[in-house]
Formats: sequence, structure tokens, C-alpha cells
Amino acid sequence: MKIIDIALNDLLRSFRSAFTIGMAVVAPLMLTGLIYFAFGGLSGGDVSMNAMKVGVVNADALPADSPLDAPIGDNIRAMFFDESVESWIEARDYPDEAAARAAVNAQEIGVAVIVPADLSASLLSDEIDAQVTIISDPTLTIAPAVVQDMVTMMLDGVSGGGIAIQTIMERQQANGIQPDPAQIPGWVTRYTDWYREFQRDLFHRPEKAALVLTAPSAGETESADPIQQMMGLTMAGQMIFFAFFTGAYAMMSILREDEEGTLARLFTTPTERANILAGKFLAVVLTVTLQGIVLMTAGHYAFGIAWGQPASVALAALGQVLAASGLGVLLISFVKTSKQGGPVLGGGLTALGMLGGLFTANIPGGMPAAFQMLANFTPQGWVLKGWKLSLAGAVPADLLLPFAVALALGVAMFAFGAVMFKKRYS
Amino acid sequence: MNAIEVRHLKKSFGELQAVQGVAFAAEKGEILSLLGPNGAGKSTTISMLSGLLAPNDGDAAIMGHSIRTEPEAAKASLGVVPQDIALYPDLSARENLVFWGKMYGLRGAALKTRVDEVLDIIGLRDRQKDAVGKFSGGMKRRVNIGAALLHKPQVVIMDEPTVGIDPQSRRHILDNVKELNRQGMTVLYTTHYMEEAAELSDHIAIMDSGKVIAYGTHDELIKLVNGQTRIDLTLNVEGADVLDAWKVVEGVNGIDSTDGVVTVLVSDSNLVLPRLFEAAGKLGARITSVDIQEPNLETVFLHLTGRALRD
Ligand SMILES: Nc1ncnc2c1ncn2[C@@H]1O[C@H](COP(=O)(O)OP(=O)(O)O)[C@@H](O)[C@H]1O
Ligand SMILES: [Mg+2]
Repeated sequence: MKIIDIALNDLLRSFRSAFTIGMAVVAPLMLTGLIYFAFGGLSGGDVSMNAMKVGVVNADALPADSPLDAPIGDNIRAMFFDESVESWIEARDYPDEAAARAAVNAQEIGVAVIVPADLSASLLSDEIDAQVTIISDPTLTIAPAVVQDMVTMMLDGVSGGGIAIQTIMERQQANGIQPDPAQIPGWVTRYTDWYREFQRDLFHRPEKAALVLTAPSAGETESADPIQQMMGLTMAGQMIFFAFFTGAYAMMSILREDEEGTLARLFTTPTERANILAGKFLAVVLTVTLQGIVLMTAGHYAFGIAWGQPASVALAALGQVLAASGLGVLLISFVKTSKQGGPVLGGGLTALGMLGGLFTANIPGGMPAAFQMLANFTPQGWVLKGWKLSLAGAVPADLLLPFAVALALGVAMFAFGAVMFKKRYS
Repeated sequence: MNAIEVRHLKKSFGELQAVQGVAFAAEKGEILSLLGPNGAGKSTTISMLSGLLAPNDGDAAIMGHSIRTEPEAAKASLGVVPQDIALYPDLSARENLVFWGKMYGLRGAALKTRVDEVLDIIGLRDRQKDAVGKFSGGMKRRVNIGAALLHKPQVVIMDEPTVGIDPQSRRHILDNVKELNRQGMTVLYTTHYMEEAAELSDHIAIMDSGKVIAYGTHDELIKLVNGQTRIDLTLNVEGADVLDAWKVVEGVNGIDSTDGVVTVLVSDSNLVLPRLFEAAGKLGARITSVDIQEPNLETVFLHLTGRALRD
């Protein structure tokens, strides 16, 4: 009974928290929505929108010892000048922030993107003090959001790439292979090229992507609408990514309680410590479950996503809940303070999500082969496999392997994390 | 049977012996104060009593239940008010109380009634729907106390419940403590304010450096410094060398200085005061104020440790 009380208390607090709701539900829906919107604008024909007028100030310069061959600011600029977007983005260069600001004020452009001189330097050195500024006409709503999202995705990709490369290096080291530092620039270039390509497809050539797309076992159900399938995969990728985030974030509540003193107070009540921990774990599972239900329902009604046969959906969703909860418990068991938690979650889960293929779920051919292999090492990769099958209309029996792997990983990670927590709070 | 019985409790953090064999007892229905400066080991002692920290040695019993062998029974008869606010800031006062009530095993109508009663006790019934995070420091402290009263514990432990709050809330809390005690609760109250210990307590245990260095009623403790007077002085200069000079003046039994106020314990102020003026004058310092105090718990602490109690 107290276990449930503790779990419900956590849920109540999550519902009160704008951050939790935003991360668990709003962000995945919004990101999917933006893609849906960009997509509809291109494929529908009559749903055309006026070209967005975007000003770009790119002051970014390469630091002396950089492994890159062009500043990251150039990539950001190129995104807006790319031929694939010229039908809906009209980009212009401006020399400095003041000029761009004046242009926004004069309504010559709707949005201005200001890339500071030290952006590459600061991203490469892991310090986040240089920031891309976005100035927008306050009467516009959609254009600034789209621009901000494009820039954010690009920057996330860059920092995620750094982490992915770190992971590859560590893996090689673990296998006894000494990574050669001279290879790093090559990796970075390959990764940025691939990521830029991915961005283009994601935002600008979805119909092409969708037409080529053939789902794994779609043989019998060939009637499936490719656009709808592509939205399903996009949404699944977002949902899985944020489910893992939510699982870890929900588990982090124990660290916050530790810091706020309420955990100590719980220990002074006649409640066994094992039950207190069980309550916290239950809260994680319930939160991720609720999130999945809300997202699947919203995805169905907002974007017309058909998630699959009920039993297959149940298996895919259950695998997601177990893997996300398990990884959340495991990750947080290594974290000392909630302050530390943010970067661990941001970096670790973005890297794992990227390796698991979550951001590229809807791209035909997917990631480069090396990355595809790595997906098998991530719980996210297996959850995504489950959803791909379910979205393609597979019968539950076809989902047994990815489900079994997600289940096994989830249970193992959970058990390990639970033991760590028991030790910590005994 | 005593309500609280503490036997030879010990706790170390690495090299630091925070609590070094503390023993005391609180009779049923009394208020016992643990009085001591910051770092004396009060909170560590209380953490052991409330089941947060396992002692390295010794034992304690709450209403006859050993904290080692019957921790759940001991906890059930105990309400703990932690030194730092331990509440959910994003939940309302009522939601907080309801949750903590459940953790003490209350349910349904009994819980609802008791939450109403506690809201009345802490005087926050009209603010019960507001988030605790938006409360003033004093109001938070009151909810912090309320959360420990829900299960009508026979014993309440309060760890410095008045630190850092306005005089009005402090008054409210001290009155609460007396009222709870009048209704029969045994209270273990820790503080470093000697006025609070003097006002509330039936018995006082003075703690310093992990040990109980004196125990008794207020009057018994004052008798320890019989015949001695405490003088508070201020100087016109920063007086490190003056302090050194005064330490060796005949008739000075203890000396300490905090925040520019020098506290001196003397056997006979008529004799010693002129000597203090003279010693200061030799060093070119001038005494700008003299305050001769009746012996109080502060004097007792100075007498026992050679140091002042206040922060
Ligand atoms: N968790 C801990 N780890 C290390 N040292 C501690 C810990 N808790 C308290 N201490 C130390 O133990 C001593 C007693 O602390 P405490 O019991 O909090 O004293 P009080 O409550 O009387 O101010 C202090 O020196 C304090 O720094
Ligand atoms: Mg303390």
C-alpha cells in the first residue's frame, strides 16, 4: 500500500512539473508535428506556404587545432541556403547582428540566425558558452519555431556526433584496438556528411524517402500509406527517445528527494527501505507507461498513425517500458547528484538514441553500416526494431525476438541498478 | 519506563568522532533539551534515534523499543522534525500532510480528520491549498513540524526547529511545543539558543564535541557556576592581543570572543573589572561597553568549556 502511495506521489509531482510534461509528452509530439508539417507542406501541393525569409549572420571561424575542415557555422548557414529548401526558405546573408536585427525590425526578414565567432571552438571544447541567437518577428509563430528546430537538431547532431565518436573509440579500446588519433578527422567528416544528408531527408525530401521506404514485412499489407508509415517511424523514434529520457528522469526523483531531505524523512517513518525503493521504481514504470499510452493515442489521432495489431503494439510498448525503466534505474544508480544527472542523461541518452537509430528511423537505408551494427548494442535499437515490425503490421510472433531482447536488457539493467540503490541507501 | 533512553551511542565519520558515547534519558511527558553549539553532535545523535544512521556502538530505546532490534516499532512511536525543511515544495501544505500521514499508516477518514487537526495546530488551515514552496520560512517550518505530528506520536524529536525564522513564527513554534507537551507528548528539543532551552525544558543536556558535558534542570545547571559572573565587553580595536593579556589576568576563569563581543567569566567582577581596564589600557585599547550578566546557561557553557555557546 505504501509502495503505491509513494509511486502515486511521484506521479502527482510529475503532473505538476511543466518540465516533465514538456519532456515526456510535448517535445516528442512537437518534433513529430514539425516534421509532419514540413512534410505536408511539400507533398500536398495546395498546402503550400509562403517562403520563410531567413537572415543568416555567420561569424564562426575554425579554432587553430580543429579536427574539422569547415566551421560548424558554415553547416548551419548551408542548411538555409540548400537548394532542397529554396522552395520554402529564402535566405540572405547579413554582416553582423545589428544589420540582421534591423532587417527583422524592418520586416525584410522574419527570422535571423546569428552564429557567433567562437561557436566551433566552444562546441569542440565542450563548453556551451557560445550560443546561436535567433531573432524573430514577434508576430510570427511557425517560422521561428521551424528555424529554431533546424538549428537545434544540427547542434544536437554535432554534439551527439562527438559522443558517438567517443563511444566508438572506447569500444575499440575495450577490444584492444588502439584508436589512431589521425582517424578522428575522417570520422568527424564522415559523420557530419552523413548527418547533413539525414537532416535534408528528414526535413526536405520526405516524399522521396517515403516512396522508397519498404517496411520489413509489409508484403501482405501493401496498401499501407507510405506517408503514414513514415510518420509512424518518425513518431516511434521520438517516442522511444523521450521514453528513455523520461525513465531516467523519473528515477532521478530519488536523487532530488535525497537532496531535499524528504528521502531521509521517509526513512524516519515506519516504512521499510525496500518498500520505499520499490515505490520509486514503480513510479518510473508507471510514468513511462502513461507516457507511452498518451503518445500512442495522440500520435494516432494527430498524425493518423496506425501502430499495428493490438497484440504486437502491446509487445512493442511493453518492451519499451521495460527497457526504458531498466536503463533509467541503471543510469541513475551511477549518478551522485541531480546536478550531475542532467549531462549524464543528455549526453548518454542522446548518444545511445543516435546509435540506436532513433533519429534516422524514417530514412531509407538507415545509417551507415557501422552505425547500424552498433544499434544492436543499445536497448533503444531493439525497441525500435519492435516498433518497426509492429508499424509494418507484423504478427506478435514476429516481435518475439526484439521483445525478448528488450525484456532481458530491461530486467538485467533494472536488477543491477536496484542492487546498487539498495547498497547506497542501506 | 523512560520515553527516551539513550545508552552509550557512538558514531564516527571516518576519523571524526561526531558522537562519543552519549547517554541520557527523557522521562515520559517532559521536555528535554539538547543544548550545544554547531557541530556538537546533536543532529547526529538524533539521526541515530530516528533510524537514519546506524550507531557504531550503543543503543537507544523509544517507548521501550530498541532502535536496533525493533526499529519499526520505535519509529512508529516517534515523530521527527528534521533540522532542514523536508517537504515537497511543489505540493500544497495539505497534500504534504496527507502524504506523510499515509507513510505513518493513516488512511481514509481518520487521515482527513487528523490532517485538519494538524492544520489547526500549526495555524495554516486557511493556507492549506497553497504550495509549500511559496511559503515563508516560518510557515514552512510549521508544516515541517506538522508532518511529524500526524500519527500522534508519544515522542517528538525536534532538531533546531526555529533556526533562521522571524520572531513571530518562532513564538508560534515555541508555544506549539509547550502545547504538545501539555497534551502529553514527550519532546526532545535540540537547540543552540540557550533562551529556548531555558524557557522550554524540564531537563537540559549540554552537548559539546560529541559528548554530554552536563545534565540537569535549569537551576541545577546554573548552580554549577555559583558565585561566578559573566561580563560582556566590547573594545574600540580588534583585540587579539588584548584577549591574550586578559586570559592571564587573575580571577578570569574563562574567555571567548565572537562578533566583536568578548565574554569573560569571573569570580568577582568588582575585583577583576579594574584589572581588565588596566590590561587593555597598557595595550592602548579602550573598553567601549561593559555588560554584567546574571549567570545563565551561556555562563555555564563558558565555565565548562572555556568557549561561548552563541554562533
Ligand atoms: N554525514 C556526515 N559526514 C561527515 N561528517 C559529518 C556528517 N554529519 C555530521 N558530520 C560532522 O559531525 C559533527 C557533528 O555534526 P552535527 O551532529 O550535525 O552537529 P550539530 O547538529 O550539533 O550542529 C560535525 O563536525 C559535522 O561536521
Ligand atoms: Mg544540527
